[in-house]
Amino acid sequence: MINLENVTKIFKSPRGKVEALKNINFHAKGGEFIVIKGPSGAGKTTLLLTIGCMLKPTSGVITIDGDNIYSLKQNERTRFRASHIGFVFQLFYLIPYINVFENIILSAGLSIYNKKRDKVLDLANNLGLMNRLTHTPSELSAGECQRVALARAIIHLPKLLLADEPTGNLDIENSLEVLKIIKHYHQQGGTVLFVTHTDIADSCASRILQMENGKISE
Amino acid sequence: MIFHFIIKEIKFRKLNFILALSAISFAVAFFVFFFTSNEASKRETIRLTRDMGFNLRIIPKETDMNKFWTTGYSEFTMPEDYANRFMQFKDFSYAHITATLHKEILWNNKEIILTGMAPEIDPAGRSEMAFHIEPGQVYIGYDLAKEFQLHRAEMIDILGRKFTILRVLSESGSTDDIRIYGPLAEFQEILNMKGQINEIMALNCLCLSPDEGDPLIMLREQLNQILPDAKVVMNTTIANAREKQRFMLEEYFAVISVCLVILIAIWIGALAMINTKEREQEIGILKAIGHRYGKILGIFLGKALIIGFISAIIGYLLGSLLALKFGGAIFKITASSIKPIYSLFIWSIIVAPLFSSLSSFIPAIIAATKDPAISIKN
Repeated sequence: MINLENVTKIFKSPRGKVEALKNINFHAKGGEFIVIKGPSGAGKTTLLLTIGCMLKPTSGVITIDGDNIYSLKQNERTRFRASHIGFVFQLFYLIPYINVFENIILSAGLSIYNKKRDKVLDLANNLGLMNRLTHTPSELSAGECQRVALARAIIHLPKLLLADEPTGNLDIENSLEVLKIIKHYHQQGGTVLFVTHTDIADSCASRILQMENGKISE
Repeated sequence: MIFHFIIKEIKFRKLNFILALSAISFAVAFFVFFFTSNEASKRETIRLTRDMGFNLRIIPKETDMNKFWTTGYSEFTMPEDYANRFMQFKDFSYAHITATLHKEILWNNKEIILTGMAPEIDPAGRSEMAFHIEPGQVYIGYDLAKEFQLHRAEMIDILGRKFTILRVLSESGSTDDIRIYGPLAEFQEILNMKGQINEIMALNCLCLSPDEGDPLIMLREQLNQILPDAKVVMNTTIANAREKQRFMLEEYFAVISVCLVILIAIWIGALAMINTKEREQEIGILKAIGHRYGKILGIFLGKALIIGFISAIIGYLLGSLLALKFGGAIFKITASSIKPIYSLFIWSIIVAPLFSSLSSFIPAIIAATKDPAISIKN
């Protein structure tokens, strides 16, 4: 499903170049739950963003389901991301001025708002967010915020879920709750790339990869 | 949904909205005040320069110019009807056409000048510039009034006919101080010159810039078509002062307008840039969850349009109110003519949203074309 060939990402800064990804070669099959572990600054997030069509590599080829994602035009890439990929971030990144319901439905696309309504309500019910639908992110706990972010990531049933330290800001109880949701998504056939620097997701993983200094090892 | 999204964002970032709204409202208000006052200023300038007096003197062609300048009027006459011929040529550059008859007479053992004035004719229908003299009334020069101790409302006898002094003219330092102005028809009668005039006074309304040519040549060409047996002389001092004053004013307003547009564009652009920077992460999120460039741009431009539209209404009302309140204090002569210019409202409604959108367009497009990961990170 996911194939990376000689992927390198170099960031240029006034203090020189930073090679975040060094000639990465990696393959993931559909339905896998891959945990990517490594210390801070190892390049885990950069790898995830690159696979998620959100950060163009400096060199190399990334294909998802046979599509070379960075050969697509910007709008095609956005469409691809909208239909194939769900993203969860450590800092939730919810839109602060709209409520829970709107934050979830936002992923489904602005123009088809009404069609997705029932789906959002079902998912919110499953994730225990029914009594929070009209609340804005500032009125939610961290765990609730992450559940909203997860709902937004999976509402459109993407083939691939990219989770970047989704439990990094949560206590153990909420972390396990979030992990349970991701596990459920995986059990329904979704592919998961889970970035973390802890062992929390080890038990769910079909494969654990280590990252250090922009290089990946199994 | 986009509209709903915009409204929620406006409510969330009230301060940014108020700042942007005030920026554009003040800009519109300034322009509305500026243009409303500018109209008053133009009218005031026209009135002030017009009050410098007639600058064109149309006299019979055979007039000896030496005698004309010595006596102050032409010894030859022409039919009074000549003045009416201007009415057939609305596009000509002669305004405030006034048929006059000047004649030196001996009055109370003093040499004075009688000037009979016909009601003004203006092909373009402008308001009267010279004073209007009713039958039986006269305006008397300062020196004459002083010497003979004459006052307003007193009766005087001129060549056997009684006239009431309507006004004693203030000291002018010219031959007007020994002049009596009266109705043309009655002065023609007492001077036995019925139907005759010896001068048509007019105002040149041809304002040419120095590089557009000599206005007198054009005026003479035009006069030749109307009155081939008359000639025109122009008081170039008054004419030049009029033209220079008008050009100076127009250039001044043109420069001020350009400076204002640039300043306001920078101001609004800076606010839009701050707002976009503040929302860069949000743009990254929207892109990350699959929203296309066009929709994101729509959210920003939609907000800019709403701000522009509301600002246009507030700005127009504020600008008109300021012009009505303070314009009168600046332009005292034409104060009563300062009125809201309704066409500026239409312009405000069109230009303010357009201007606001353009200012937001560049920062929004920069943010929307960035990689979402970079935007989120920022």
